[in-house]
Amino acid sequence: MPEEEVAEEGVLNPLQPEIQDPLLKEIIEENDLQADPSRDPLEQPAPLPDPDEVVDCVVIGTGAGGAPLLARLAMAGLKVVALEAGPWHDPRKDFATDEKAQAFLFWNDERLSAGQDPLAFGRNNSGIGVGGSTLHYTAYTPRAQDDDFYLHRDFGVGVDWPFGYDELEPYYDELEQFLGISGPENYPWGPTRKHKYPLAPLPLNGAAQLMQRGCEQLGIKTSPAANAALSARYYQEGIGWREACQNRGFCQAGCNIGAKASMDVTFLPLAANHGADIRPNSYVTEIERDASGAVTGVVYEQNGITLRQKCRNLFLCAGAIETPRLLLLNELALTSGQVGRNFTAHTGVQVWGTFPEDVRPYKGIPGALISEDTHRPKDADFVGGYLLQSIGVMPVTFASQAARARKLWGQAGRDYMRNYNHIAGINILGDCLPHESNYMELAEEKDARGVAKPRIHFTAQENEKRMTAHAENIMRQIWEAAGATDIWAFPRYAHTIGTARMGLSGDDAVVNADGRAFDVPNLYICDNSVFPSALSVNPALTIMALSLRTADKFLEKAR
Amino acid sequence: MASPHYPEGTVRALLATDLVTDATRNALQARLDAPLYEPQYLDGATYELLRAVAARLFPQPDRPDNPIELAPAVDKRLLEGASDGWRYDALPPDREAYRMGLGGIRDSAETMFGQPFLSLNDEQKDQVLAAVQQGTAPGHVWQELPAVRFFEELLAELTENYYAHPLAQEEIGYVGMADVPGWHHIQLNQLDPREPEEVK
Repeated sequence: MPEEEVAEEGVLNPLQPEIQDPLLKEIIEENDLQADPSRDPLEQPAPLPDPDEVVDCVVIGTGAGGAPLLARLAMAGLKVVALEAGPWHDPRKDFATDEKAQAFLFWNDERLSAGQDPLAFGRNNSGIGVGGSTLHYTAYTPRAQDDDFYLHRDFGVGVDWPFGYDELEPYYDELEQFLGISGPENYPWGPTRKHKYPLAPLPLNGAAQLMQRGCEQLGIKTSPAANAALSARYYQEGIGWREACQNRGFCQAGCNIGAKASMDVTFLPLAANHGADIRPNSYVTEIERDASGAVTGVVYEQNGITLRQKCRNLFLCAGAIETPRLLLLNELALTSGQVGRNFTAHTGVQVWGTFPEDVRPYKGIPGALISEDTHRPKDADFVGGYLLQSIGVMPVTFASQAARARKLWGQAGRDYMRNYNHIAGINILGDCLPHESNYMELAEEKDARGVAKPRIHFTAQENEKRMTAHAENIMRQIWEAAGATDIWAFPRYAHTIGTARMGLSGDDAVVNADGRAFDVPNLYICDNSVFPSALSVNPALTIMALSLRTADKFLEKAR
Repeated sequence: MASPHYPEGTVRALLATDLVTDATRNALQARLDAPLYEPQYLDGATYELLRAVAARLFPQPDRPDNPIELAPAVDKRLLEGASDGWRYDALPPDREAYRMGLGGIRDSAETMFGQPFLSLNDEQKDQVLAAVQQGTAPGHVWQELPAVRFFEELLAELTENYYAHPLAQEEIGYVGMADVPGWHHIQLNQLDPREPEEVK
């Protein structure tokens, strides 16, 4: 290998290597296309935009942050264009029930994970394709509670949101009805609801029943979770019928029948029906401005061609890593000095146990049972709180986590994995406070496009450690009470939050309460990057609620 | 509790039925039918070292003639420069990390036992790998490359390659790929007819 060392010196960046042999080149290209036809750019031909046309709004990103507002703006009669870095998939054809075959759903451009608790990206929290990360979210859709928005008021740390639950409640109501969320008759936590969930809860799978059993013995209240997956066929205004969940258990990847309310089967077709122009395979490289600093348009690459789209307003909805990355690369909205800072991630420790019962963790909605009894625990030695959720899991993901956390290999590793059908898990999602040592920056290392890779620093602080310890203790008790043996914890952090936060002042926030950048009059940001705090619930529903609110605030102003 | 065992052939039998969608069948069948692989990125000796390491991390005495090959997907990924979306900042880019890490395993074996890794017996090989995993392996490479992180990444990637294979999925009784009709019996101890029962 010494010769190779010389030959490879300087290759510090895993770019696509230049293959010299033309025959090999041809074979590899052909194989790639056969393995994944959606990688063929010719599969998705796109008309060239008119270089002189100025549209009302460009929306970058089609996930939970971009899709709802895209539909709202289009329905108000505006000329809107959405740019999505990834392709438009056909779920029935493209979404195999196989973890490796669905890896294209994840944002697989490399991110550098630094700090004492380096975070996993890719399948852990980041998506690509028309629909964004909602293509592979677990579809848990609890609402945040009112006190989630006021950590500073209640505990004197972190920052408060510039508004509270009341402001989002009508959007939560609207979203639950529109998406067809399945949930219990009476949800036991949070403010009294104006509307019931439109659909009955999904059935409890093995892990949910075990968690229910353990919690009952400990006096912890549980409830079937709210899920954005249909427990019955559902008619969606402006879109049509969607089919009921088949208990395929594959929500951490793409749903092949459209039962899961990802944006590609809900808000995006609605937007398209109202004239929105959704452009897949469009990777934004540059944001252009005039002398006054206002955005005038964006430059993007589509199927290898560089294109430009002029616009009157820009909505940046690319998620809490790509949004600040674009801002930093374009030196945009940087006056507050907060872009990339205040990075948080949900505490998300998982506890796994082995049961004598047949669990078959690949069946049913992975997230079926929930408890928010730990929202503000009485014996807490930490700020904020968390919720408990049962989890099902697919084998490759589970094996990978077990390998990392338990360090098992050889015969011991294979023997442990033979218990897969008897495994059940619980996890938490809890608050995480901003800290100066947790931030995202541009690295010196470049990606395949020649753009600086993002480096994310994350070190769990005292509060995260205490919350995790508290939660791990409770989850171990639940699993013991339910009859588990061989209980172990996978320390983990979920979601990406807070790198372009909203606030009342441009001194310590990037956008105002309406999502508009303090620095740039016609730039709006809407995704998890604007969250001032992490919230003690899964973020998707709140991101969508913010998205609708941001659109409404924009339309009010535009009128 | 002793680890459960499942009958052989369950996944292969399902793949021949219409209980599996075409997209899913194609992905799994391609792994079953994978032709003999020639390394395209790693040189021959380094590739053989990776295979030998994989054979200790996933020993397959039950498949003496046809072990699940874990190295091809690694070599192919390195050739393509593909990523799973992140890497430890403490590690160099994956190609560099594999080149250094495999070189480190080779050097550690020489230092610990005075022989190439491939010439060691199974117990000795395991001792070398355990030393890398625990960060105690000798060799100058490990001054530059964090051994514990490298081993974790190597183990995770090989683990994912192993359990993505239909034969490994048969081994653990996983039949989630039989995705056409949906699952009707999803409660504890309830099985649908296409789910294999443990061999008593």
